[in-house]
Amino acid sequence: MTNPPTVTVPEPYAETLVSARNLVSTYEAAGYSRAHPAILQPAEPFLDLSGEDIRARMFLTAGRAGEELCLRPDFTIPVSRDYLHSPAAGRPQGYCYLGPVFRDRGTLPGEFLQAGIESFGRTDKAAADAETLALGLAATAHFGRNAPSIMTGDVALFTALVSALDLAPAWKRRLIKDFNRKASLAQDLERLTLHAPNGKADYQGVLAALAGSDPKAARALVTDLLSIAGISAVGGRSVGEIADRFLEQSTLGAAAALPRETHDLVVRFLNISGTLDDAATAMRRLAAEGGLSLDAALDHFEARSAEFRKRNIDARRVAFSCAFGRGMDYYTGFVFELRDGGSDEPLVAGGRYDDLLTRLGSPSPIPAVGFSVWIERLSDSIAGGAS
Amino acid sequence: MTAPVIIAVPAKGRLQENAEGYFARAGLKLIKPRGARDYRGTIAGMDGVEIAYLSASEITAQLAQGAAHLGVTGEDLVREMIPDADARVILLEGLGFGYANVVVAVPQAWIDVRSMSDLDDVATAFRLKHNRKMRVATKYVNLTRGFFGQHGIGDYRIVESLGATEGAPAAGTAELIVDITTTGNTLTANALKVIEDGVMLRSQANLVAARGADWKNGTLDTARRILDRLASQARAQAFREMRTRFKGCDDALLAVARETFGIVTPFGGPTSSGMLTLHCPPDQVFALADFLRGKGADAISVSDIDYVFTQDNPLFERLKTGVQL
Repeated sequence: MTNPPTVTVPEPYAETLVSARNLVSTYEAAGYSRAHPAILQPAEPFLDLSGEDIRARMFLTAGRAGEELCLRPDFTIPVSRDYLHSPAAGRPQGYCYLGPVFRDRGTLPGEFLQAGIESFGRTDKAAADAETLALGLAATAHFGRNAPSIMTGDVALFTALVSALDLAPAWKRRLIKDFNRKASLAQDLERLTLHAPNGKADYQGVLAALAGSDPKAARALVTDLLSIAGISAVGGRSVGEIADRFLEQSTLGAAAALPRETHDLVVRFLNISGTLDDAATAMRRLAAEGGLSLDAALDHFEARSAEFRKRNIDARRVAFSCAFGRGMDYYTGFVFELRDGGSDEPLVAGGRYDDLLTRLGSPSPIPAVGFSVWIERLSDSIAGGAS
Repeated sequence: MTAPVIIAVPAKGRLQENAEGYFARAGLKLIKPRGARDYRGTIAGMDGVEIAYLSASEITAQLAQGAAHLGVTGEDLVREMIPDADARVILLEGLGFGYANVVVAVPQAWIDVRSMSDLDDVATAFRLKHNRKMRVATKYVNLTRGFFGQHGIGDYRIVESLGATEGAPAAGTAELIVDITTTGNTLTANALKVIEDGVMLRSQANLVAARGADWKNGTLDTARRILDRLASQARAQAFREMRTRFKGCDDALLAVARETFGIVTPFGGPTSSGMLTLHCPPDQVFALADFLRGKGADAISVSDIDYVFTQDNPLFERLKTGVQL
């Protein structure tokens, strides 16, 4: 009896997998444990934290009881959830990972490889940020890309600026939310300045009258009126909540015209970019001129720049922009992307997300920072370089 | 060999009656040779056509895949169910029935919410206060995501709802809804109001063509014959024919009538004897009759038109330029 001829079916990523495994081994050697989150995940946390937009790109399915499941579209949320459910929860712990993620990308394959790290619980945030960037640079170097462009930003600086401004709370809330949606940020800034009507003609008179009255009495009046109408909690919002925001409209309406100089200050801030040192100087000057206290955020910014130097990251290669964000709501501080010269798509991207674990159910805040590596883009660039 | 043109029409209810009426007015009588309960039919006296009776969402899916050539379905379903709809189907014509608006509706008690930007702010405040996102009950998952995205709203979750959506806020399963409404009565009865700039889509039943269907083997020509009748009927519906004869009728007067009443003169200006045939929009008939008598017309006859066949056929032109051959 003769054996049938052996047929080898190549593993889909065989060529790059070896190289990617070696990269992740270096992360393990640096103290990051290997994480193996499940491929099949509950859909809820992704939709909740990344927003409904991601639904269009996820591969969704349902369990027999109707629970929504998905193929993991990224590693950050699965690794974070596993960490929260582990004995290490709350303690400093770093993880590295490698495996397929699944996103509907139109003509590109829906399944592709990602590697990366997530670092939880470190309170020396500046050092942790710098270590993260250094390990990201190690990934590009591992695939033969020694000089990617380094784009960085810091969401916390914008948050600090908005907090320091003399603005109604509702406007602060909006501006911070809009930071990741640049189109509406520009729109909101214009609206604040020009004081365009907000389509509230019907109640304008009432709001103007209430604006000048005692806030407590006004709130009691509105709450009473709603109660008379037989309305208690409606659509998950209490009568008190509705009354509060209704009255907030009077602050938004009557007193919201943003002085031109404040508008210009925000625009000038968002236009600051350059090297880390130049940006820091520009931000300090702007804060001084505007009489704003941004010291804590700026001190942290400069402490991080110092940590970059300790890690031998050439500061001249690090570009910074105050307007740079990664379009994801869950980043809270430092964000970065490493790219090839002319490309729009990052090879490595990540940042700090200090609120995410709380939103995933952690009883106390846990600082977190990490990044993802697009293995296919890096291996493409190898192939491109070889041919 | 000639392949059949497959036309998908609604299988039941008012939509079926309206769709059959639409074809019947153009002399295209849909018949079910094997009995009323059959889900396949033909058009009386016309070869090479197959009628598929399906639900509105199946019709939409079949058009998206190119499994049917033509179909009658709502624009709301087309926009919701077919990603990048304009690349896959052509909306040939609105049919004047099945009107429905897809709207964002919130509890009436939300007196602080009038515009989408209010809703944006409430959504963010809601998440910060309750540590979860506001829920939107809807069956229009994709339309909702697109529309909320346009308005920069990110703090919301979609709860899929396949029936009695307007009851979701009262039942506590969602904070607000996106749903279709025709009169708004159902919303009002459930203590909901439509947000001012919250009308996502003004929808009606459409004649829809599938770009990806097989338009070879004579199907395009069969479609031309069908669309020719539909277009000639649509044009006939849009006008009344008015005939008159009087001396003072000249080109200058016709120019005024065109401008004022929107008439067309399908057979040119008055004949040498002053005989004139006009096509006039139905709601202008009486005004035009006054105008013409004022200019000296003694008698004017007005009649309905069954068909107006012309050299051009806008429906077919739209189909031909849109399909892949």
